[in-house]
Amino acid sequence: MSLTDTGHFQVFSQVNSSLIRDPVLVVSELTKVYPGRPPTTAVDRLSFALGRREILGLLGPNGAGKTTTIQMLLSTLRPTSGEISYFGQSLRAARATILAQVGFASAYSRLPRRLTVIENLDVFARLYGLRAGERASRIRELLERFGVWDLRRRSMESLSAGQATRVMLAKAFLARPRVALLDEPTASLDPDIAVEVRAFVRSQRDEEGVSIVFTSHNMDEVAQLCDRVIFLDRGRIAASGHPEELAASAAMTRVRLRVTHGLDRLLGHVEAAGLASARDDGTVEVEIDESHLADFLASLAQAGVRYREITLRKPTLEDYFLKLAGTAMGARTRQPAREEES
Amino acid sequence: MTLSLGRITAMILRHLYLAPRTLESWAEAIYWPVVDLLIWGLTTRWVESSGGEVPRLALIVLTGVVFWQVVWRANYEISVNLLEEFWNQNMSNLFATPLNVWEWSVSLVALGLLKNILTLIVGIGGVWLLYRLSIFEVGWMLLPFLFSLMMSGWFMGFTASALIIYFGRRLQGLAWIVGFALAPFSAVFYPVSALPGWAQVVSSALPMTYVFEGMRQILRGAPMPLATLWLSFGLNLLYLTLSILFFSTMFEWSRAKGLGRLE
Repeated sequence: MSLTDTGHFQVFSQVNSSLIRDPVLVVSELTKVYPGRPPTTAVDRLSFALGRREILGLLGPNGAGKTTTIQMLLSTLRPTSGEISYFGQSLRAARATILAQVGFASAYSRLPRRLTVIENLDVFARLYGLRAGERASRIRELLERFGVWDLRRRSMESLSAGQATRVMLAKAFLARPRVALLDEPTASLDPDIAVEVRAFVRSQRDEEGVSIVFTSHNMDEVAQLCDRVIFLDRGRIAASGHPEELAASAAMTRVRLRVTHGLDRLLGHVEAAGLASARDDGTVEVEIDESHLADFLASLAQAGVRYREITLRKPTLEDYFLKLAGTAMGARTRQPAREEES
Repeated sequence: MTLSLGRITAMILRHLYLAPRTLESWAEAIYWPVVDLLIWGLTTRWVESSGGEVPRLALIVLTGVVFWQVVWRANYEISVNLLEEFWNQNMSNLFATPLNVWEWSVSLVALGLLKNILTLIVGIGGVWLLYRLSIFEVGWMLLPFLFSLMMSGWFMGFTASALIIYFGRRLQGLAWIVGFALAPFSAVFYPVSALPGWAQVVSSALPMTYVFEGMRQILRGAPMPLATLWLSFGLNLLYLTLSILFFSTMFEWSRAKGLGRLE
């Protein structure tokens, strides 16, 4: 993944699924076109794979095609063309067998609000095919893990958004799935609960070997949790890679120095090296490739520059997202308006 | 296509867990049937005591009331339980599991059957307790009549649900409209001959008509013409098959647009 000379992102239309070892999910040329005048292409020849024990982040601005993709992966939306296969089997041909091993939670769907927590989970445990002896113990295990066991006899409508989300997550992992599709699962959670949920998701990968597709608008969360991310833009893959690599490709590390001695020498040094910088009184912020940072600081010491405070800000996935979203917005203004994904 | 008893049971429980706790369940099971029986029973008793010339009017009309409740309940359990999933934003959750549309349909039919047992207990018991009249006078034909009427309710429910699942909540009123729209043509409380000519043509295409006509004949002491009962079953079978195919087709078309949009 790289920036082009013009500063726009190089667009990868495909991710070679053969590069993923031991894939549990392979998506090939997946396309969804909604009929209309003009027709709307929500997902456009999307190809990717999900490896075993991998957490894959699916990111992108609103209307990028994330939710449409998740719906097709669950078969609640029929693709216009393309193939989805899990565990080597086509979703079309082996839907029931596959979905018994795929968990799902979304911030956008709800559980029947007048049923109690335990009634809801009992119904879904049966739908996923859990045996009678296993249902009660698995439900208890998950509700205790998410700290909502005491709420088991309460109706869903009496729960807070955060409590309901935790029940929804319990539902997603009821059947000990091999793959979990989590559509913004932490959207309505308090920060402390979100931390617990992330720990749980990580433990499912590490201890149970679950592979996870994860969407979120919280870039820090994605960076912490995901082994790999795919950025979608207008239904296509705009970029794919490790969160840190993507972040590094979008922005430089920022070094902020509060200078006590040799300010002019510092500025001359920065100018000579061709680095971008900003100055505010005695404070200078310099953008630099992280691999050159040590040399840069050593050369400042050699030049007799003294500073009493240094702050480093590494590039984040959010920098990347904002840059990508900015590029996408620019492209949109140059093209006829397209209908947003609902 | 496979049917899993476990998943069908899950979908039945999804509604039965709730039923004992909600006011509308009790109203649908007891309150409305009893209100119907009171209004129609008292009216027909009054007509009879005023020298009305229709023999056994009260029993005929009250049997019509109870029989129509069977049609209504079978229809209602399919279309309103479908709407329940829309109202609860639960469509994506359900169909992200191995549940398929056939298992879902069977569960709705089974729910209609179970709840109709309660409807019949309340209806038949209510007629006896309130008026000392017995619907069992229909005799052994009671069972095929009731089964035929349930089939009618199912085809009405699947037809309405097919349109609702494709067009979404904007057509949710069909869940209540379809039943009431066909009632006047089904000769529930009056003979087909009371209808205008064009309406009699519509009436002859409805399987319910033959059951209500047959019921009146039996209660007046005439033998039941078995040919009309078979005709009723034949029409029901045809309509039910067509309505289920229509429903599954519309479900697939709806899936092409995304089930998530129905939430």
